[in-house]
Amino acid sequence: MRRLLQHIIFVFLVLFILVPLLMPVIFSFSEFWQGILPQGFTLRWYEAIIRRPRNYSALMVSLTVAFGAVVLDALIAIPAAYALNRLDTRGGRWLRNVSMILPLIFPPVIVGTALVQAFSRPPLALTGSVFMVIVAHALIGFPFMFRNTLASFQTIDERTLSEAAASLGANLWQRLRYVIVPNVLPGVMVGALLVFAISIGEFEVTSMVAGFTAQTLPLQLFQQIRNDMRIASAISAFLVYVSVLTFLAMTFLGGKMYGDARDRR
Amino acid sequence: MFWRKARVEYVFLVPFVGFLLFFEIYPLINMAIRSFFDNNTGEFTFQNYVNVFTQPQFRTAIRNSLLFATACSMVGAVGGTFVGYIASHISPKYRNLLLSLYSLPLTLSGLVVAFSFIVLLGRNGVINLLVRQIFGLPRSVYFDVYSWYGLVVVYAFYQIPLMALTMAAIFLNLDRSLVEAARNLGANTFQVWRYVIIPVLAPGFLAGLSIQFAGMMGAFGTVLALVGGEKNLLSVQIYYHTSESTYNLPQAGALAVTLILIISLLLFTLNRLRHVVSPGG
Repeated sequence: MRRLLQHIIFVFLVLFILVPLLMPVIFSFSEFWQGILPQGFTLRWYEAIIRRPRNYSALMVSLTVAFGAVVLDALIAIPAAYALNRLDTRGGRWLRNVSMILPLIFPPVIVGTALVQAFSRPPLALTGSVFMVIVAHALIGFPFMFRNTLASFQTIDERTLSEAAASLGANLWQRLRYVIVPNVLPGVMVGALLVFAISIGEFEVTSMVAGFTAQTLPLQLFQQIRNDMRIASAISAFLVYVSVLTFLAMTFLGGKMYGDARDRR
Repeated sequence: MFWRKARVEYVFLVPFVGFLLFFEIYPLINMAIRSFFDNNTGEFTFQNYVNVFTQPQFRTAIRNSLLFATACSMVGAVGGTFVGYIASHISPKYRNLLLSLYSLPLTLSGLVVAFSFIVLLGRNGVINLLVRQIFGLPRSVYFDVYSWYGLVVVYAFYQIPLMALTMAAIFLNLDRSLVEAARNLGANTFQVWRYVIIPVLAPGFLAGLSIQFAGMMGAFGTVLALVGGEKNLLSVQIYYHTSESTYNLPQAGALAVTLILIISLLLFTLNRLRHVVSPGG
């Protein structure tokens, strides 16, 4: 009896996540869905993303922005994680804590309005450009890149390893090539995947800073939810695929999102 | 020697600090300063802040935001703790499946969630149709996803997984031998919970609660996709004063500063509480 109850609860908990995730996927392959069950099979709504210029350009902008945000975050976070791992001083710890708490105190809506206020007038008229959207996404994704990179620097104990390699006669290039990069890469990849997935789906800050020129896929989705649920279903399904693929890749890399919350203390 | 070593590493921090200063700290300070100036005349004024606390629309927004964030965090905290507890009491194979599934919503766009729940719980959504057909109810009976209760249900799809991942980790860390030791020393169930389990769980639970609450105070994407500006929240007000027809940046700034203060105060209080509940942790 207890086991049965356990099974029922387990199935219910799985369905709680699975059913909402599957809605856009089922909808996107159906010809129409008015009643309880969807009817027919079609790929027309996916075709619309590629064929319609507005949707297609939004897809391209989204991909550009996501790659841009990943690169920007990597350029900032990897050197910072390297340095902070070595600087085990009070300043280093303080900076580490600050970068964890910052996104809590300044949620996307605040970041969005602050960016608009700072960069919408000459000489710094950046809002409405793809660059501004990349910066905004990099700001939101930064903690994920930083946390994962720092964690991998810490778990391999980069300092000791580097010193050992140096004492065996390895120069800086060799240390980078054979010690640091291969050990840190999985953490960086997990961070990159998270930043990519978050950027592809980001709506809140984007809607504030993007203007008309930097229309991303979620902004299109926002309009289509009002206009045409079928197009909206294909865009939503695409975003679900990105999330699921990201997650599978992360599992493959051995990255864990859960348990991660513990080091927030 | 020490200084040379240290200086090289500080150089690596330059991109990080520079980026943060220019694109986060400067915009925030700029916003805070501009919130003290009039939108039209450009004169120094406290009017934007006076508005926040006297105009009915803003007062309602603050009240709604506090209530809504509290409701969502509570649902998330209770539901998440339950899922975390279940996850820590099943075999590792099922646990990994469950926790993997529950980490998916964290990267999912809020608009996708909005879409899913319109299909599921909209006026003629699948679940509403199903329930009406099974119980033979008239068309006027439905669960309204566009109401406050509906929005809480939608956000639970985010909040419960977020809390579940935190709590599962904590339940798994809870040392069973500690519980057994307490039992052996003659503690009853109440005492075990009061002196062993709760002090171990509380810090993580409160940390999870802070994250939930802070997140909910700023959330607006899914709300906007579901009901537009119909529901009056502080975050929605900031959005509308920044990018819609009610464009008034200093007012948006004043509202944003208010929101930052509310979140900071709450995080501070919950942090204090954490030290009270478990002095050792």
